[in-house]
Amino acid sequence: MGEATPVWAVVALPLVLAGLICSAAALDAVFCAGGRPADPLREGVRLLLQQRRRTRGADLLLMRAGVISLPVAAFLAAMVIPLGAAPVLPSSVGVVWFNAMEVVAWASLWLTGWGADSAFPLIGGYRFLAQGLAYELPHMFALITAALAAGSLDLGAVAAAQEGLWFAVWMPVAFAVYLLSALAMAFWGPMGHPLAGDVAGGVPLELAGPDRLLFFAGRLALLAVAAAAAVPLFLGGGAGPWLPAWAWSLVKTYAVLVPLVWVRQRVPVVRMDRFMQVAWTVLIPATLLQMLVVGLVVLD
Amino acid sequence: MVLSARLARFAAARPPSFLVAAPGATGTRLRAEAELRRRDRRCVAAPPAAAVLVVCGRPGAGLGAAVERVWDGMPGPRARVGLGETASREEIAAALETTALEPAAPPSHQDEDVPMADRAADRDGLKLDVLHVPLGPVLADWPAGLALRLTLQGDIVQAAETVVVDAPEGPSFWDGPWLRAAAGQPVTVGEAERRRAASHLDGIGRLLAVAGWQHAADQARALRDEVLADTPAEALTARYAGFARRVRRSRTLRWMLTDVGVLSSETAGRYGLAGYLGDAHDRLTGRLDEIGQALAQVDAQALLTGDGGPRGPIGQRPSGALLAVLPRLMEGAELAAARLTVASLDPDIDQLAVPAEAAGG
Repeated sequence: MGEATPVWAVVALPLVLAGLICSAAALDAVFCAGGRPADPLREGVRLLLQQRRRTRGADLLLMRAGVISLPVAAFLAAMVIPLGAAPVLPSSVGVVWFNAMEVVAWASLWLTGWGADSAFPLIGGYRFLAQGLAYELPHMFALITAALAAGSLDLGAVAAAQEGLWFAVWMPVAFAVYLLSALAMAFWGPMGHPLAGDVAGGVPLELAGPDRLLFFAGRLALLAVAAAAAVPLFLGGGAGPWLPAWAWSLVKTYAVLVPLVWVRQRVPVVRMDRFMQVAWTVLIPATLLQMLVVGLVVLD
Repeated sequence: MVLSARLARFAAARPPSFLVAAPGATGTRLRAEAELRRRDRRCVAAPPAAAVLVVCGRPGAGLGAAVERVWDGMPGPRARVGLGETASREEIAAALETTALEPAAPPSHQDEDVPMADRAADRDGLKLDVLHVPLGPVLADWPAGLALRLTLQGDIVQAAETVVVDAPEGPSFWDGPWLRAAAGQPVTVGEAERRRAASHLDGIGRLLAVAGWQHAADQARALRDEVLADTPAEALTARYAGFARRVRRSRTLRWMLTDVGVLSSETAGRYGLAGYLGDAHDRLTGRLDEIGQALAQVDAQALLTGDGGPRGPIGQRPSGALLAVLPRLMEGAELAAARLTVASLDPDIDQLAVPAEAAGG
């Protein structure tokens, strides 16, 4: 990418991310039975004013490291996603950087679950490791397929390679697997087993006050960033008629984010002892086949 | 100062609640849940996420101690609401309206330290850490008064022991119409079938919540409250048909519940649990059928004569057999499957209470 990053983008990125988090939270509240759009704001203020609590034997350093790394990882991942023409941090290996930051969430969940010194958060942590083993390989193959078609690991170049035909159209398997793994990396909805009700909320069970707020904001940030990354990877980036590139990026991000938020109401939680088999016997071969097809087309 | 006071008021307007029900307080729990829903107030899955602790009924010594521990761990500002077993809808509404959140005092006693993990051979003979984890008695979507002492390796249950925390209170709310009919009072079939449908909807609501499908669980509970509130039959059947179709059609739910908590015909025969055959999904669809049949009869004016309550013949107290069979179904199950099994069997501890005439001699 030859274009320099405009200064406004550096300021805009945190604001855009905060806007995405707030609107995702408000949407989720509206989709719930009896929910109102202001509920997340109310809950956020309540958590900010809440007293802190700690369990006996808790490893506060590990727990806080886990909680804080969640939104930080989401923000760092967002830096390589082009908001319009250029990302805040233009990188020739943007796809790898995005993937690496998203894997930081593995550590975040494990540290938070382990640090509480409490059985249910620990079990939630275990569950996310199993989930990682199930979703990460198909997810990486889906990312690599898009990069392979573009011949570049730069998210801007991947978006630019889709002039004429979106990758979502001619590599639907990779796109579908990407959407599923977006849910999994943000442990959201059907992929929310690490935070499920059967272990009383799992990983963040013992968190209160600002810690809890940061954790849940971090989770929505991951979901929003996963939705935003789908735009340059599969939906042609900021390209589109009439509107400027940044507007198209935002419109397409919401087009992905809204269904991801909504699906939580429609589908029960998927347990990894069942999903693992599907991931390894169906999703991995399917993504490999998709990659083979794309590879043959590119060679041609 | 004005701003921070206004912010605190804004935050405290609809605080999330955690609900604990003591044995014998099922009716109070249902009225409290209905009142919370009417106010669009969320019930959360764990006490640390809540600002209000709602205690329904009078906890005995065992549950009372557990409630105190949970209350000690709740961060302030917080409030505690105690509702008596006979609390009316208006009393519950007034108690919920007037709760004022207050800062928490420092904990009166420390949490018990989590014991270090032992090590023991697992099913494959590998030496693995063993953790002793209690499930209940204070747990969301869980039978009132029940606790399970689990021995876990990872999240696999190696052994389970059922504990009834305090002496059951009884009489069972869900068996009410049949108990009254057995005592010679005139009870209509319609009233009994309403109770049957509500009982199954309550159980399905718990199962769906444990299965991580909050939206459908909320629907089941809203329907349950309407059934108990004497909503006319036509309105109920139409809404129920939509709910049942949605639950039956969910492939993910079937995938997750198949082969969970399987009760073979041999075991079911031995424990007298013929109505509980198969896996969690079989039981779910069986219950959905029964609700459909029950809703067709809610206007029946004939007098009730049988003793076939929601969980089976009330004289046999099927919940006793359910508790007896639980440890067998737990062993080797993943923790999530263990919780789904309990929810799909839905034992009613109040059924175990010694009837007044027998206790009185």
